[in-house]
Amino acid sequence: MNTEPAVAVHRLTKVFPVPLHRQWVGAVRDLDLRVEPGEVYGLLGPNGSGKSTTLKIILGLVSPTRGRTEIFGRDSNRVDSRETVGFLPENPYFYKYLTGAETLRFFGKLCGLRGKQLQKRSDELLELVGLTNARNRRLGTYSKGMLQRIGLAQALINEPKLVVLDEPTAGVDPAGSREIRDLIVDLKRRGITVLLSSHLLAQVQEICDRVGILANGKLVREGRLEELIAIENQTELVLENASDTLVSEIEALAARSNARLVARRKSTTTLERLFLEATKEGKSITKSE
Amino acid sequence: MTNDETNLNDESRTVVAPYRAFSFARIAAITTNTLTELTRQKVFYFLLIFALLLIGSSAFLARFTFQQEFQILKDVSLGAMSIFTSLLAIIATARLIPQDIEDRTVYTILAKPVPRFEYLLGKLMGVLLLLAISILVMGAMFVVVLYVREQTALHETARQFANAPRDQLDAALRGLRASALNVDILPGIIIIYLKACLLAALTLFVSTFASTNIFTVVVMAVIYFIGHLQATAREYWLQEHTAGWMTRAFLGLVALFFPDLQAFNLIDDIVVGAAISLALFAKTAAIGIFYTLIYTLLGTFVFYGKEL
Repeated sequence: MNTEPAVAVHRLTKVFPVPLHRQWVGAVRDLDLRVEPGEVYGLLGPNGSGKSTTLKIILGLVSPTRGRTEIFGRDSNRVDSRETVGFLPENPYFYKYLTGAETLRFFGKLCGLRGKQLQKRSDELLELVGLTNARNRRLGTYSKGMLQRIGLAQALINEPKLVVLDEPTAGVDPAGSREIRDLIVDLKRRGITVLLSSHLLAQVQEICDRVGILANGKLVREGRLEELIAIENQTELVLENASDTLVSEIEALAARSNARLVARRKSTTTLERLFLEATKEGKSITKSE
Repeated sequence: MTNDETNLNDESRTVVAPYRAFSFARIAAITTNTLTELTRQKVFYFLLIFALLLIGSSAFLARFTFQQEFQILKDVSLGAMSIFTSLLAIIATARLIPQDIEDRTVYTILAKPVPRFEYLLGKLMGVLLLLAISILVMGAMFVVVLYVREQTALHETARQFANAPRDQLDAALRGLRASALNVDILPGIIIIYLKACLLAALTLFVSTFASTNIFTVVVMAVIYFIGHLQATAREYWLQEHTAGWMTRAFLGLVALFFPDLQAFNLIDDIVVGAAISLALFAKTAAIGIFYTLIYTLLGTFVFYGKEL
């Protein structure tokens, strides 16, 4: 069994010079990171915390000032380290003059795919991201959500073992965002490692196995999500069809054992779920009309 | 989006060819894409201007003698070909790299197993292919117009000399043919193409460290200007001043970084009917290829160190 980490970052530091000011700005400082094969790892942090720079260094797009990064044991400076990697940059702009199908063919050829196999793979991915009907439209006419989906399709063209997503749902509406989330879950189910950066915390909470929080280029927290967000001395019970009497009895029982009731409230749905259901209803009404 | 998992199950796994350090297929993909990009941006519209210039000038020239007409037609057409291909080389190349960086498409490409020199080479080859197509089309238009005018001139001359002795007619027709379409034009067109290739490679090099398209175009305009004047300036300098080793070294450096573009101007000889010697053609072509390679290498060197 392969125990090599999907991504390993060793004491990574990156400083950028400020032109004409003889100053240096530290983007990443002494970062150590390890993403295991098959897991979904979320790199969190506010804007300017060094997330994108870290991802770019991992992908060999930016060179580190100190330290090194590896993908499945291969140094990121080596071009062949990207053989099994798919990448979706933040707010991607692809060539507007290409159609969806041409875009996938172009990126497929860069990965060594040819002929019928490339054709088959493009068709599969267009189907997967729901762009089969828009395959012959130029990307200049695509919406932001569609661009994000064609971006995901190109990231998957070479059947990567690692997919790196930089803010994959930035600027996408909740429905599109949910679709991308579902796709990430599907990637995980198929054993593909996912490294994503985001500042949409609710979404990260839903899909990530482990998270690292960056602030000013330093990793300030890291670990399994449930361990990081668990409140050790509190327990939640969610009951369905519980009568007021039953709830009062449970409260009395808790009081007798020196436990303190912190909150009692009705379960709520999320605003996202409410939005999705409402827009779905809207669509079905329009259709029936 | 569907969750149709059967599409991507393990049985239907795509077999990707193992990575190779150099791949013509990858370069060809980037070349084709660059050519598509430039074509879909309708850069070929300038060919229409060339066609109009050609037809317009041939109509205007009807008032001259046939020999004068052919000479001016060659002068105007080859001059226009030289200026148009040079302009196209600079303008089409200047935006390629900065635009890809601005749009972040370069991230998506280089995050695939694509070495940076293949990316640059693919981009340059796309422009060189565009220039080759342009010069072929312009050359074909020029040859057709020249041929049509030559045929008209031959018929007209034959009509004028209808009652003259046979040897006078033959001499007149020979004179016409010699001044019209001949094979000497070809080396001139090849040199025009190589000059455009050199300018494209130099523009690509400048664009690897430029931050905007405007900067690249302005720098290239200055280089174009210096490139056309440097030979004259060098001759003047060496004649007027005592040339010490420092002066010579400085002039050598200028000559190295700013190619002598005037050396590529062989069309003046062709226009007046003088054939270019093979040695001069070979030397000029070798200089063109040498500079194109050097600038491509320099561009690759800068691009390898570039933070994207």
